[in-house]
Amino acid sequence: MKNLLLFLLLPLLLTTGCLDDDDQLDPLREGELALAYRAEYGGQPLDIQRKVYGYPTGDSLKVLLFQYYVSDLELLPADGGESIRLEEIDLIRRRSAAGDPTVERTYLVPAGDYRGLRFGLGVKPELNAMNPSKFAANYVLNEAEFWGPTTRYVFAKIEANAMLEDDGRFDTGLSYHMGSDALYTTVTLDRRFTVGSGRTPRLTVVADVLKALSGNGETFDITAPGKQTVHGGNQDVAVGIWNRLATQFALRVE
Amino acid sequence: MIRSLSILGTLLLLTALGCQEEPTGGGGTIDEGAITGPASPTPYALEVPDYFPAPVDDPENPMSEEGVELGRHLFYDAIIFSTEGNMSCASCHKQELAFTDGFGRAIGVRGEPGLRSSMSLVNLAFNPNGFNWDGGEQKLWEQAIHPVEDMLELDNDWEEVIRKLREHEDYPARFRAAFGIDRKAEISRELTVKALAQFQRTIISADSKFDRVFYRNTDFFTEEEQLGADSLFFVENVPPGTLHPGCGHCHNAPQFGDNQFKNNGITDVGSIYDFVDKGRGDITGNPFDNGKFRTPTLRNIALTAPYMHDGRFATLEEVIDDYAAGGHGVENEDPNITGFTLTDREKRALLAFLHTLTDESLLTDERFSAPE
Repeated sequence: MKNLLLFLLLPLLLTTGCLDDDDQLDPLREGELALAYRAEYGGQPLDIQRKVYGYPTGDSLKVLLFQYYVSDLELLPADGGESIRLEEIDLIRRRSAAGDPTVERTYLVPAGDYRGLRFGLGVKPELNAMNPSKFAANYVLNEAEFWGPTTRYVFAKIEANAMLEDDGRFDTGLSYHMGSDALYTTVTLDRRFTVGSGRTPRLTVVADVLKALSGNGETFDITAPGKQTVHGGNQDVAVGIWNRLATQFALRVE
Repeated sequence: MIRSLSILGTLLLLTALGCQEEPTGGGGTIDEGAITGPASPTPYALEVPDYFPAPVDDPENPMSEEGVELGRHLFYDAIIFSTEGNMSCASCHKQELAFTDGFGRAIGVRGEPGLRSSMSLVNLAFNPNGFNWDGGEQKLWEQAIHPVEDMLELDNDWEEVIRKLREHEDYPARFRAAFGIDRKAEISRELTVKALAQFQRTIISADSKFDRVFYRNTDFFTEEEQLGADSLFFVENVPPGTLHPGCGHCHNAPQFGDNQFKNNGITDVGSIYDFVDKGRGDITGNPFDNGKFRTPTLRNIALTAPYMHDGRFATLEEVIDDYAAGGHGVENEDPNITGFTLTDREKRALLAFLHTLTDESLLTDERFSAPE
């Protein structure tokens, strides 16, 4: 009888022994979730370098870089249960003129009803305290995103070249780098959706660069030299951009 | 019980065998192309200081002691790589110049200048963003393919290189030791460049004065060097209205080069379509990438003149002056190229700091030198 049992196990061992970890999907318990991070400017898809955008002061600009860190990305179950961690840290970046305004991620998540998602905008304090030498050179937390050799990470960057005179030349650099433990902000986006039972919802987190630069009745003057390069020094400008960035995220579900 | 155990053992063996890959070639037949000798590569443990990140893995080219040694021999072998036996990789990547060549544009085997400057080969194991000035090659070992055939570099052809390697009295055994091959016919272009890449990955520069001061606490900056570091290079809290973002913005420690592609404002052109050397734009085909080049490491920068992708600046003083003057207002210039004022004292201080990035031990380290 024992031998029979072993022979019955043989085919199972031979087939399951070679499965990759990611092959072990149970469709009743898990489902695929597509999450897109979409960048916009004034409600339109953000085209890096290619498109000219207006600024409320009447000037024009071309965006060269828009990026931000996301920490502890979590799904929030509708029944109030424990949140589902999707990612500890991620860097959402648009820098290439050839790139799509949307950055795609796919996760395998427990089937069920959800009421939204939550993430920390920036690098959470535990990771922000760790320098890049703790990680691999190609990890999202690396020295290129570090303020200095012993300091901390730049949580978000917006860089552009502006045309301040009507001469067709985008020759004034705008560079806004933000980040500190004090600025770290939890963003919660409420929107109901269901995973499983044949449903693979597509979630889109939308961030609008214009709303970060100018919104809530606040617009700063990009013609003022002191407000063109903000790398930690001019915190009035940096905190303003950060707060607007943190409060403008929207979640779309398809 | 014993029978059950033996059956279970057989099952486990079958399971394990079931996961093995198909044999990829070779055979037991001994012929004149067979190579004898050791064929079990020893895994190479890359020595990385604790203030560096972990290197970028390349699962397609695992390092071995024998592969690194083979790569070192190849790197310095002019007989193999040039038709007249007068040029090897080391001709443009000299150890005493931090693996650059001292020319504005690399001089090829015919004495003609190439398109761009020879890049330093230090710390390539930590580069996550392609290779060459334009990022045209994704993997380090792929990077070594093109220079052999480039008319302005080695102007050779790979068939000839491989023929010489197969007929060589020493190399076949080294290839077998490094890659476990059985026959000379298995010596290939891919294995050759992979060995070169394995050697290049070992060239780690991490023993400059900066490292000793900053990470190891065994040395001190002079007052002038400290001023250069604090007030100009690593500038975190830029006062309002100060335009200079600090060199460390793109050249942060410990690698001192972010390996991103940028138009750093050194070329005055009417539009993005007018760059003579389009750099990254030639790779992506996107005109907004024209005139963009890799931000290289500043480690050993005092040894690697002349500067920029085309060697247009003979000295570091010229480089600083050009950055201080600001860019040229081309629309894809990096917005952090803003121009700034600099006193003579500050300029001397910045230069003094840049000289602390020289790693003297690298220049004579026998692990990176020509084999005897």
